[in-house]
Amino acid sequence: MKTISVEVWLYGPLARYGGKPHTSHYASVFPSLPEGSCVRDLLALLGMPTEERGITFINGVLSAMPGLQPDLDRPLHDGDRIAFFHLRSMWPAQYRHGAAMTPELAHAAQAQGLFHAPKPVSQDGSSDVA
Amino acid sequence: MWILRINMTDRSYRLEELPEAYKNLAGRSLTSTIIHDEVPPTCHPLGPNNKLVFSPGFVTGTAAPTSARISAGAKSPLTGTIKESNAGSEWPQALASMRIRALVVEGQPQEKGKFWMALLSWDKAAGKPAVTFAPADEYVGLTTQAAYNQLFGRFGNRVSIAGIGVAGERLYGNSGIVFQDIKRRATRYSGRGGLGAVMGSKGLKYIVINREGAPGVQLANAALFEEGRRKMTEALRTHSITKPKGSLNTYGTAVLINVMNEAGGLPTRNFSSGRFEGAPNISGEAIFEGNKQRLGKELYNHPCSPGCIIECSNTWHKPDGSEHASCVEYESSWALGADCGIGDLDDVAELVRLCNEYGLDTIETGTTLAVAMEAGLAPFGDGKKAIELVHEMGKGTPIGRILGSGTETAARVLGVRRSPTVKGQSMPAYEPRAVKGIGITYATSTMGADHTAGYTIAPEILSVGGKADPLSPEGKAELSRAFQATTAFIDSTGHCLFIVFVILDIPSGFQGMVDEVNGVLGTQYTADDVVKLGMEILRKERAFNEAAGFTRSHDRLPEFMKHEPLPPHNTVYDVPDAALDAVFGQM
Repeated sequence: MKTISVEVWLYGPLARYGGKPHTSHYASVFPSLPEGSCVRDLLALLGMPTEERGITFINGVLSAMPGLQPDLDRPLHDGDRIAFFHLRSMWPAQYRHGAAMTPELAHAAQAQGLFHAPKPVSQDGSSDVA
Repeated sequence: MWILRINMTDRSYRLEELPEAYKNLAGRSLTSTIIHDEVPPTCHPLGPNNKLVFSPGFVTGTAAPTSARISAGAKSPLTGTIKESNAGSEWPQALASMRIRALVVEGQPQEKGKFWMALLSWDKAAGKPAVTFAPADEYVGLTTQAAYNQLFGRFGNRVSIAGIGVAGERLYGNSGIVFQDIKRRATRYSGRGGLGAVMGSKGLKYIVINREGAPGVQLANAALFEEGRRKMTEALRTHSITKPKGSLNTYGTAVLINVMNEAGGLPTRNFSSGRFEGAPNISGEAIFEGNKQRLGKELYNHPCSPGCIIECSNTWHKPDGSEHASCVEYESSWALGADCGIGDLDDVAELVRLCNEYGLDTIETGTTLAVAMEAGLAPFGDGKKAIELVHEMGKGTPIGRILGSGTETAARVLGVRRSPTVKGQSMPAYEPRAVKGIGITYATSTMGADHTAGYTIAPEILSVGGKADPLSPEGKAELSRAFQATTAFIDSTGHCLFIVFVILDIPSGFQGMVDEVNGVLGTQYTADDVVKLGMEILRKERAFNEAAGFTRSHDRLPEFMKHEPLPPHNTVYDVPDAALDAVFGQM
């Protein structure tokens, strides 16, 4: 089976999913995945529940925010850089207006608003906010 | 309520009743109005006709949370525009407790090279503030903390001090005005725009306030104020960004280093890249983890001023556990770190400490060092050489004076084309080629490139942005205008701008802010009034700038951003000039 290799950055307490259980600084790992894998598969490989992550980037493009995770089925490619931030991190709207985001996130944000308060997230990536 | 005027030509002072027309102005709305009304727009910023105006916000000095803010305003020697620079300290609370809505420093002494301090106290018998003057020459040339320690020793630990360091004494364009923090560190700055030089040009080294006996802020409607205070407090205490052990209390503002780096928008090596390989080591996470290792325990952040419940100010410690610097903010860690290619937190902390000790704006200093590095004065990444260059500024050597003039002047002198400035002020830590919305604010702000000019709350709360597509040039312009107007209002309330992170998500917090202001003033403002009031402030600021010679052609980002693609996204700044002109086209 063909595999892909990706570059993963885990910030704050998420570093423990990169083999650094005693730090809340960061970890970077380079896992291999079967071709065709998506974000959900990467999370499974890392053993990281999706609820534990907040801001997420794929190649510098914002793909998820606390409470809004429409990127679980986004396919990954060889050489991709994926960054996961702990829910304690933040990126207020004032500093991301006009920044690159995935079409799925832009679409989800239009429907729901791109807020910053963590809300319960279900495994399909949606939040149950009215 | 009073306006207190201090005339440095003859060291006299005058108390005036607050005019009716200024009754509902405070903070930025009052500093900008007084400058608009009284300062000749074409005056030299360091001459006798410029005025330095301090004003606490509406709710400063009350029990409103996170509200000990001072607006300092003048015509800026860095930009030539109007300027408002905001800081948090107990000093504005002391000023507000004397019912002084504005302190205006005027005139200029005949004597060259001499400095004085103004001592402000409450005259119990007369029931009003009183001012005396004393020579301050013995403090000239000292580092700020050494001088503040002497002043606290002389006047007691309960006084509040505003002052300048050697950068202000030497009239540097990147000098700030320093206020004490909660532990009497000389570290809280009105940093931007060279206002320290304006104070220095007036021969004024310190304004020392002894608030003993002062009556405190009067509330027109105490019940309404209390309701607003409760809403605001609740919002700040529950939001993930501002709650205890939340984003800011844990990682400080430097929490944004890794985020902006991953977004490809962390300006690196004088704005030549949007990503810095050393970013994780100068981040908020690195500060938290490094302190934990060096202290043997977790250290959460502290408030810069009494009454702040966000508590975002950090301290960095040396390997032996002693304190090295406070506060390593996001902008400071970026400017003195990533923008100079420096990834060593101990070097960054030393640079922050030196800026505080010499009275320099950390942002303008960092971006100027980066320009100097591009010119070959030091290699990018050489922290030790950067420290030497800041010492040159402190010593006042010829190269130090050039660097102290700010980024644009240094770039011109050193022959560096890539000068990341708008209207003479260097850009903060958000690359407009990666985060395009902030580029509109940088370009059109009345203050020069300023990341705090475009804070806002959700467009749906403000009832704007509904008509135009926010992604169209018209929509972006409309949003930026509303952002800047809202910010101008919040800069007048006396609240720290960080409340905006919260009231974006918790509308009751926004209502709390409006209630608090109405409770103090006895007004009946609504949420819709916020944009209108903010627009009125912007109108005055724009009018001042226009009369000072600024046109639409100054509302532009530097040319290199339009044709130099920024890695890793390899994008240029492509927001058309017409969109920038549309921001204030209707004013």
